[in-house]
Amino acid sequence: MNALLQEYLPLVIFTGISLAMGLALLVAPFIVAYRQPDPEKLSAYECGFNAFDDARMKFDVRFYLVAIIFIIFDLEVAFLFPWAITFGQLGVFGFWSMMVFLAVLTVGFIYEWKKGALEWD
Amino acid sequence: MNEASALYPALPELILAGGAMVLLMIGAFGGERATSPMLSYAIALLVVAGLAIAAMPDERVALFNGSFVVDGFAKFLKILAVLGSIGTLWMSGDFLADPDRRKFEYSVLILLATAGMFVLISAGDLIALYLGFELMSLSLYVVAAFDRDNVQSTEAGLKYFVLGALSSGMLLYGASLIYGFTGTVKFAGIAQEAANGGIGLIIGLVLLFAGLCFKVSAVPFHMWTPDVYQGAPTPITAFFASAPKVAAIAAFVRVSFSAFPAIAAQWQQIIIFVAIASMALGAFAAIGQRNIKRLMAYSSIGHMGYALIGLAAATGEGVQGVLVYMAIYVAMTLGTFACIVSMRRNDKPFEEITDLSGLARTNPAQAFVLSMLLFSLAGIPPLAGFFAKFYVFLAAVKAGLFTLAVLGVLASVVGAYYYLLIVKIMYFDEPAPAFDPMGNALRSIVAVTGLFVILFFAYPGPLVEAAAVAAKSLF
Amino acid sequence: MAGIPLSHGLLVAVVLFALGLVGVLARRNLVFMLMSIEIMLNAAGLAFIAGGARWAQPDGQIMFILVLTLAAAEVSVGLALILALYHRLETLDADAADKLKG
Repeated sequence: MNALLQEYLPLVIFTGISLAMGLALLVAPFIVAYRQPDPEKLSAYECGFNAFDDARMKFDVRFYLVAIIFIIFDLEVAFLFPWAITFGQLGVFGFWSMMVFLAVLTVGFIYEWKKGALEWD
Repeated sequence: MNEASALYPALPELILAGGAMVLLMIGAFGGERATSPMLSYAIALLVVAGLAIAAMPDERVALFNGSFVVDGFAKFLKILAVLGSIGTLWMSGDFLADPDRRKFEYSVLILLATAGMFVLISAGDLIALYLGFELMSLSLYVVAAFDRDNVQSTEAGLKYFVLGALSSGMLLYGASLIYGFTGTVKFAGIAQEAANGGIGLIIGLVLLFAGLCFKVSAVPFHMWTPDVYQGAPTPITAFFASAPKVAAIAAFVRVSFSAFPAIAAQWQQIIIFVAIASMALGAFAAIGQRNIKRLMAYSSIGHMGYALIGLAAATGEGVQGVLVYMAIYVAMTLGTFACIVSMRRNDKPFEEITDLSGLARTNPAQAFVLSMLLFSLAGIPPLAGFFAKFYVFLAAVKAGLFTLAVLGVLASVVGAYYYLLIVKIMYFDEPAPAFDPMGNALRSIVAVTGLFVILFFAYPGPLVEAAAVAAKSLF
Repeated sequence: MAGIPLSHGLLVAVVLFALGLVGVLARRNLVFMLMSIEIMLNAAGLAFIAGGARWAQPDGQIMFILVLTLAAAEVSVGLALILALYHRLETLDADAADKLKG
């Protein structure tokens, strides 16, 4: 009996996960969404830039662009740390691997420069 | 530089990645003028990469401490994926000719997506699996939203992104559990430890499969497929339906057989469940569809169900069946989508099934080939689609999975209804206005895939044998 | 290495993962959905770190660095797509994206 149950375990887990996800999608809005609208709640507070000005105010796209570009270049540099620490033991191949990686980053950089993503005006 | 020559097995990936960088630079400096030559450069790069794959030896070679494996299996599927990508670019010429869409990034993104698929197909450990998966997915999210002035395309891209990111989160979490319970990321190492991994390993396996199911759009992770297929520009839908499916199925098969042979009994049940659910949904949900791209989405869900039958059999013959199925599926899909791309009047795309009515009178040649492709998708003998189904069902029966095979046959009977309905509309309904004449590129795709589908029965040997050789390399 | 047992790390990871999953499914604001996805990815990263500590291998940490950078790439693509939709629809509500149905 036990062995039989064990055999069907993955199926049960899989069905369970699918059911739970489907149910959660259906049920969550009823439970989580708390319906008592008032003007303050209906305002676009969650977007973060409504309180200062009219809701139609356009938030400057350039901030987003710079943020997006920053995230990528900032985090790709994380690969440099382990490389720098083990630099002595890596040899020529390790050195050139990182140079290739940096060259790829540079290609991305040149692309966005030429596209004008870095210009503020 | 001994290390550099040791990189030879990764040559196709390097060609694509390096080529994409060079094209990006050419495009950045050349601007809009560079778009149409860019398409030919990209096709040339894919052809070179395909030749490089074909020239590789069949023996298994492992690179980067076993993270990257090149064997017969990888060769077969990479060539399929590259053919899917070439077909997509080949039919994208008119789409990119529109002044608003004259963006060279399109070719670069397809190249990068293909490079991601190659890594996914060749993955020998969980790290490479995740990297390939992400490189492919990130490029696909962007191409789905490529038509920026079209709300539908943007919406499709965003839906695909949110659900895709969810699935890659599940895949990654599953991978982390597998690593936590076995202590290794290598498939070979996991295979040794899998037998005593316990319940944690099984949960990890289920989550990993959930991520892969999403990419092949198998039930219960298929929700995104109809919306994204409908919203994305048609050549891009053709891409989604062909090459990424090949790569995801490859990862499915490789993970199952090289990392988890010890718990085959467990994953077999999951695959059987997914296969049955996908076939059933693909057969029934497509019946009411009016939009042909949505219909093709349900059709592809069903087809992935059939392909997974081969995996469910968990035998070498099953894998061979999957490979044959994918090869024929890619051909049928590309041909059908080339016909859908050509459904234009006065440069406006039409997507309703009723727009095809009376096509047999306005363009008999196209109507004939399209109905052959649809018959083949339905699995009617003696067309190629019948043999695709035949091999997977045969493998299932030999593995003792009679119920699965019977359900598969039933689902294909139900599914045949809506394919035949389209044929009926084309041949017996009042003609709608004729479509614009087909371009040469589209015509060549339709001709080649149509001939393949019709004549496959006469000469099935090479494909079936190549698939057998490829399947053997996994065992 | 006497320290935190594997089960504790995995427990935190599973809680984080569940939080992220519920967030993606329940939230209707696209930016919050994106943040929830990030939480899920970081839960997986944490589980890798815990696993790496348990088996005393660097693999878990290598994977974490990769997860970190890929998550950043994913966020960039996601933000760009959200921005494109915002331009068209002037809202961040996921339910506003309802042109595709059937």
